[in-house]
Amino acid sequence: MRGMPRHVAFVMDGNGRWAAQRLLPRTAGHMAAEAAVIDVIEAAHTAGVEWLSLYAFSTENWRRPAVEVDVLMRLVRRAIRKHALALHMRGIRCRFLGVTDPRIPPWLARDIADLMVLTRDNRRMTLTVAFDHGGRRDIVEAARSLIRDGVPPEEVTEESFARHLPHPDMPEVDLVIRTSGEQRISNFMLWQVAYAEWMFPPVLWPDFRAAHFRECLDTYQRRDRRFGGVQVPTVTGKGL
Amino acid sequence: MSDAASAETDDGTTPTGPADPLGPGSMLYELSHQARWGLVATRAIVLEAAHPQIGAALITNSTFVAHPWRRLHNTVISTQRMVDPDEQVRHREAARLNRLHARITGVDAEGRPFNAADPEARTWVVATLFESTVMMRRLSGQSLDGPALDRLYAEFRAFLALMEPDGGKLPPTLREFWHYYDFMVNERLENTEAVHVILDRLFTQVPAPPLLRDRPAVWAAGRALVSPVATAITVASLPETLRIRLGLSELPGTHTLMHTAYVSTRLATQLLPEAWTRLDTVMAMLDPAYAPQTGGDALSGLRSGAAKAGALLRLLTPVPGTAAVGDSTVRSAARFFSEVLDQTGNGYLDWPDVAAMAREIATRLDLDAAEEDRLFTAFADWWKDLQRELDSDSDGRITGHEYAAAAAAMTSPALIKVAEVLFDVTDTDNDETIDTQEYRDLFRTAFNHNPGNGGDADNSDEQLKRSEFVRRFLNFMTGRQHSGAYDRLFAQS
Repeated sequence: MRGMPRHVAFVMDGNGRWAAQRLLPRTAGHMAAEAAVIDVIEAAHTAGVEWLSLYAFSTENWRRPAVEVDVLMRLVRRAIRKHALALHMRGIRCRFLGVTDPRIPPWLARDIADLMVLTRDNRRMTLTVAFDHGGRRDIVEAARSLIRDGVPPEEVTEESFARHLPHPDMPEVDLVIRTSGEQRISNFMLWQVAYAEWMFPPVLWPDFRAAHFRECLDTYQRRDRRFGGVQVPTVTGKGL
Repeated sequence: MSDAASAETDDGTTPTGPADPLGPGSMLYELSHQARWGLVATRAIVLEAAHPQIGAALITNSTFVAHPWRRLHNTVISTQRMVDPDEQVRHREAARLNRLHARITGVDAEGRPFNAADPEARTWVVATLFESTVMMRRLSGQSLDGPALDRLYAEFRAFLALMEPDGGKLPPTLREFWHYYDFMVNERLENTEAVHVILDRLFTQVPAPPLLRDRPAVWAAGRALVSPVATAITVASLPETLRIRLGLSELPGTHTLMHTAYVSTRLATQLLPEAWTRLDTVMAMLDPAYAPQTGGDALSGLRSGAAKAGALLRLLTPVPGTAAVGDSTVRSAARFFSEVLDQTGNGYLDWPDVAAMAREIATRLDLDAAEEDRLFTAFADWWKDLQRELDSDSDGRITGHEYAAAAAAMTSPALIKVAEVLFDVTDTDNDETIDTQEYRDLFRTAFNHNPGNGGDADNSDEQLKRSEFVRRFLNFMTGRQHSGAYDRLFAQS
């Protein structure tokens, strides 16, 4: 049985459907998502996961209605302020991936910067929030950075390339969990998920809880041992 | 001279005073790096404001009421440059101050001309700093003895001589200085408007430092407690004749209060870990973007702690319930007028406001004379355009109302010229791009579209091309688009 995944990443999908099922506006789904986020952070922290990444907002999400984007921004701010101290006291280092669009309101950029400053020396677990993130953009930026540094073509290797990505100290992702049963990558940390295991539990993100997470971790640990095509538990999708 | 100075630096202070009267090892160097220098500077500025010429210059040109923290930041850095170990740095700063002062001229309310570069006025500024230092030592129970006083006086004279080609007008001996000081207090100082602006407006309405600028309520509560005390202490420490002339009565108990305050700062300076009472530390605490001139790695841990404490404080302070200030990405013309354009905070847009913007940029970028001229000329041309377009009643200044009525006229070729000159002077290596360091020099912050990385990774790959730079500047100045970077430069207190 293999050990705990070092780096777990989440595509938090299904907020909109969760709200639609209850005849609520989409924004209600985002509000309900906060509890799941906190539950997952707690569970990862308890389980000893060292790196946890959450896909909160993609570069494509800017196309959503302005009102929804605005509510999302406010929710993120509220969540940061509500949980900053708790995260810090648990020894969690918080980082953000992306966060380059000028449409991010200055007050949110400020809170994000503050949260990163506050928790930057924590080492128990690193929480990376992909916010205004696009995997391809990161790769393009890394390429630009290489070219600017004048690295000769023969010296460009996977390792040297990776050093030009944002947060180069971040290890590769071992396990990606995408909720709501959708099975797409959606431009998420493309470089880092190259060798990751994927799981697609059908539960919608606002309903996702620590128990679901533990189930995923359990499956991950057993998958390797039963390598050779054993049926995966119901909570996961078809896997590979 | 430089040999003597470097020899001095190695073995620290000597009782007779170092060969280099400024720089490390001098009393002035030590004092100007301590947080209690703030007490000296605060008292000195009241004495300066009572000087009719300086008072007029302060009232008409200074941004210290509207942007006191930015002004403090500039003053701290300037003072530290003037006592820098490298003599070249000192001379460069002195020349810069001379140019800056020479641009501040005008006529006061009674028609008397003033000029910030006037030798007599500048002598008084240095005199008030010296006397306030002596006073600070005395009130905190650390009176200076004869030789130390002589040495301190010599250092202040050297300080003034850096700026004045003829050595300045401070009397040669200490005995003559006290005569001069008494004469100034008794005969020259007046009950100026500037003094009352400082005591009534600056202290009671001082805007929040960057640390707390998103939390006006917290700041207001603290200020309500501290401001009357600060005012009382400052007033109590003024010479009695001046206090009477200013019509300021001394409240009972303020002398005790004043002594307590001064002694406390002395004890703090003596007893607390040295790093805590350094001016740099306090500045870093108040303004997370403050970058001290000197490396000082020993302090980096503490500064990091201060930055974290500041971040936590901001995160834990409740956000004002309703639509918070700054929530909108586009601000009203009225807010843009008062936050950005009206630099002196007098309710009008006039040349001193525009000059203050140019001055702020020139100071930050530490421009040489030719670049500074280009920048001021560009701003002056823009100001002429503005006057022509917006000053509907031709009174030489623009009201918020006049501005709001015709704000679109702001996009003049002259403003584009300002943007281009700003680009040129920021692009110090002339490679047609603003790189990370050049951007930081201008805005004192990292590239604002990348708040990420927590300061621990290098973002050396970011650049800004001329067209994009000009576009952003125009967006900010005309579209009234919020910009973290330009807000820091022009709007922040």
